[in-house]
Amino acid sequence: MAGAAALRRSARRIVRPLATATALSRTLQQPERLFSSQASPEHGPRGAMSGSELGLYTPELIRNFSIIAHVDHGKSTLADRLLELTGTIQKGHGQPQYLDKLQVERERGITVKAQTATMFYWHTSASHGPDTPRYLLNLIDTPGHVDFSYEVSRSLAACQGALLVVDAAQGVQAQTIANFYLAFESNLSIVPVINKIDQPTADPDNVKDQLKRLFDIDPSEALLTSAKTGKGLEQVLPAVIERIPSPPGKCDSPVRMLLLDSYFDEYKGVICHVAVVDGALHKGDKIASAATGRTYEVQDVGIMHPELTPTGVLYTGQVGYVISGMRSTKEARIGDTLHQAKITVEPLPGFKPAKHMVFSGLYPADGSDFEALSHAIEKLTCNDASVSVTKETSTALGMGFRKLNLGSFCSKVQVENPAALASNPGKRVVGCWEPTVIATIIIPSEYVGPVIMLCSERRGEQIEYTFIDAQRALLKYRLPLKEIIVDFYNELKGITSGYATFDYEDSEYQQSDLVKMDILLNGQPVDAMATIVHNQKAQRIGRELVEKLKKIIDRQMFEITIQAAIGSKVIARETLSAMRKNVLAKCYGGDITRKKKLLEKQKEGKKRMKRVGSVDIPQEAFHELLKSSGSK
Amino acid sequence: MLRSAFPLVSHLPPKKPPRIRPRPPPVHRYAAAATSHPFTPPSLSPPLPPASAYVHLPFCRKRCHYCDFPIVALGSSSPTPSPRGEGAEDPRITDYVRLLLREVAATRPVPDADDGVPLETVFFGGGTPSLVPPRLVAAVLDALRGQFGLSQCPEVSIEMDPGTFDAARLRELVGAGVNRVSLGVQAFQEDLLRACGRAHGLREVHEAVEIVTACEGLQNWSMDLISSLPNQTEAMWEESLRCTVDARPTHVSVYDLQIEQGTKFGQMYTPGVHPLPSDSESANLYKIASKRLSEAGYHHYEISSYCKPGYECKHNVTYWQNRSFYAFGLGSASYINSVRFSRPRRMKEYAEWVQNLEDGTWSHESRNSDMKEMAMDVVMLSLRTAWGLDLRSFSKSFGKSLTLSLCNTFKPFVESGLVVAMDMQRQALSPGDFELDLQSECDSGSRSAFIRLSDPDGFLLSNELISLAFGIISP
Repeated sequence: MAGAAALRRSARRIVRPLATATALSRTLQQPERLFSSQASPEHGPRGAMSGSELGLYTPELIRNFSIIAHVDHGKSTLADRLLELTGTIQKGHGQPQYLDKLQVERERGITVKAQTATMFYWHTSASHGPDTPRYLLNLIDTPGHVDFSYEVSRSLAACQGALLVVDAAQGVQAQTIANFYLAFESNLSIVPVINKIDQPTADPDNVKDQLKRLFDIDPSEALLTSAKTGKGLEQVLPAVIERIPSPPGKCDSPVRMLLLDSYFDEYKGVICHVAVVDGALHKGDKIASAATGRTYEVQDVGIMHPELTPTGVLYTGQVGYVISGMRSTKEARIGDTLHQAKITVEPLPGFKPAKHMVFSGLYPADGSDFEALSHAIEKLTCNDASVSVTKETSTALGMGFRKLNLGSFCSKVQVENPAALASNPGKRVVGCWEPTVIATIIIPSEYVGPVIMLCSERRGEQIEYTFIDAQRALLKYRLPLKEIIVDFYNELKGITSGYATFDYEDSEYQQSDLVKMDILLNGQPVDAMATIVHNQKAQRIGRELVEKLKKIIDRQMFEITIQAAIGSKVIARETLSAMRKNVLAKCYGGDITRKKKLLEKQKEGKKRMKRVGSVDIPQEAFHELLKSSGSK
Repeated sequence: MLRSAFPLVSHLPPKKPPRIRPRPPPVHRYAAAATSHPFTPPSLSPPLPPASAYVHLPFCRKRCHYCDFPIVALGSSSPTPSPRGEGAEDPRITDYVRLLLREVAATRPVPDADDGVPLETVFFGGGTPSLVPPRLVAAVLDALRGQFGLSQCPEVSIEMDPGTFDAARLRELVGAGVNRVSLGVQAFQEDLLRACGRAHGLREVHEAVEIVTACEGLQNWSMDLISSLPNQTEAMWEESLRCTVDARPTHVSVYDLQIEQGTKFGQMYTPGVHPLPSDSESANLYKIASKRLSEAGYHHYEISSYCKPGYECKHNVTYWQNRSFYAFGLGSASYINSVRFSRPRRMKEYAEWVQNLEDGTWSHESRNSDMKEMAMDVVMLSLRTAWGLDLRSFSKSFGKSLTLSLCNTFKPFVESGLVVAMDMQRQALSPGDFELDLQSECDSGSRSAFIRLSDPDGFLLSNELISLAFGIISP
């Protein structure tokens, strides 16, 4: 999953500023909206809403919930339907899959960024008799993948319940399980929704069995829906109201809220999504961050309905946005507690400062593009606090950036102290630890053998092996992060003909026998090619790497020795003999232009290469190297 | 860069008297410590008026399997040109020559008619120019003489293929003013000739050599060979070289087979893959040629050219010196007023273009050449020659720092022997001396005067080395 996740994360960063602009233009283009049945004029999605009105929604009339699902099980479509049903967005107008604001999300059907929307819903319940109270429902969307498990856990911390959506044909998948446990550990009330029942291959009974077996969910609790045809949707919001508790906060305490997410808007600055846990937040209030201690004045506050709708106030249990003059999203740490300034409050549990686990070096293919890359990275990172960037210089790659982020990015894993591993025989390294993950893999049972083999090749330790129904098995493994980061998922898909689903969550560090392996070209170490490998695998990986490099690197005007070494000990060696001939000895008359073009093309080819010492290395060598050192 | 920004390029060429460069007597050149320039270094100053003309005569009996030149295949159905060239003349040839004469007539001499310099070299290339009746060749020469003037003893070369001429026809050509023949032999093996799709066999080769060597008034002739042909063995190559040396031409051109897209060979073969020799086998053939021909007293004066002392092809030297030249005919490339121009490669389009030239709706433009482009041309062309790159004049034209960067780039290759640095006396500098010289920085104390690619190893990697230099000039 790492590769895909990396793509997603990078794509996400790239499109976000764009997506914001799109949302903005949409707002401008649609000053008037028609509302469907449930919409009330005074609660129209546009324009300000009065604070006093919002004050009517006491915690008992508020439900905060999220939707969790495996990718493609219909989460976004269901969210759209709910927003339409409540008149929050207009049916058939605007963008489908409203919550997937980012273009990449719509295009790939993946939610990567938490979005939140407030809905209003009249609900008749037995307890209220003929009275039909109106409820305020906050749909707090979560990133669709546990690569963002921390973000997911913070989003879930603002909820009291979750819709667990499962595809009626595909049944429980790896992410269903991972998401379920995240929700379960957050003590959420779970409303199972078996979706896509309109499909010809739908087998809701089998899914109910799976839910029972895996999660001990009573089959009678499951709602059967088709977000596509609308079947069964009417049961969903009543179930949310009846089965999910209202937020538990204290209305009369000083304000305390959970920071769910933040993003940077070119015009408004940093916009924070918050869930008010205790008290009320008013425009003009002074608030402080528990993590940084900085204080801010609330400049604007309101709800997402679904666009930013100023209300001047947010009350206990409500979810909305705050603009408070933060300069950068780095000040707005997800999971942080914002509270009334000048008093001490108990920070909300679960906050973790950003911990960088994956490090990636970014270098422009062409050194002259450094400025452009620099500019692009600056733009992207001002919007994402989980990424930090430092400039670095590699002798092989030139000027570039070291980018640290929480998710998985195609990159090298650093262990505790790679410098110590490097070449410092004077100091003894007492031990190396490497991060691990707990991987959940669901596969048709015939693939169990090869998958177990793959996992043990990757130094996996089996934790669980169960059958979730007659055809499918669930495997849980503890795997070193390093072993899955580059191509594990691809390989897994390959050996299971694409039937495997895979997910993972961070786990603790484990002590490992790791060594730093250098690659030397003509005796000169290539910094960008150094990798950290497991000692037992070093020999094999070293041999494979040098063989691979011998194929990738073109012959040059001199002989090149390619070596893999641990410390001063060379463990593998290949020699690439010198190029013998590259000459144009042809009768070309006076027409030198063709010849010159050929030489210029050759020159451009050289430019695309990275040069170490006098050796030109093609770009792909770095990527290929990463692939093989990561996998084997 | 503008010409005005560059003092050396800014002054105009002297108008009078026109520079006449009589053909130097064939003296020993490139001797180990040659003190005289065999030819002037590549022209860096304002382009001298063209003193050379290339004339393309595109007709062939058939297209060879490796050829991607603009040619017109007459086919076997056409009246076979009688060796005497009398009788039936193919109308396609006469029509074409008529067109050619119109182009010559419509081409304004550079600079102006009265001030123009006479032509020092004329080269009839093809195609197979020997298929063109001598009286038509003579007509073209006359036209050139009339339009541009011919110097007192110009070099007039013509490419000839075995089997397309007899002694009388050659005499006729010599009578018309041709004084250098380039004989397209290519190989001395019947099988190889057939495999290349040549229109002649080995017998014709021997006859042709006989005719050429026996021709009075013709001392200067060249033999063309191709190496790295499919299924060509080292033994075959040795044989071809031996036969070549035995025929005692004054000049030998050794071309390395290039597989071009769109040719028959292009469809049949992949470079470096059997039956073509591998790169290393092919390099070996190149080295053998260099060795055998040097042993026989030929000087390897350009990547693919060898000559007996004093018999460089003056016309080709024009190209390598980056001097301007006229060109006439289908697909030919001229270099006039710093502009390289290639004529249309299709007959119909070429005819239209000639019409436009006559109408004055098309004229050769004049342009101030870009300095980088010029520096690249100079490096590319001069490094093809044994003379090499004249560092001092390069430095004067393009600046000391660029020259220094080039030298630094080549430093490791001076060490590895692919590049040779030489002093004013053309004595090779040791890598150590070259490095010291580079560090000294002091211009006057600088000993390095030339760099050249070594023979054969440097020549063999010329594309690599020159593109490396390109990267320095135009990063």
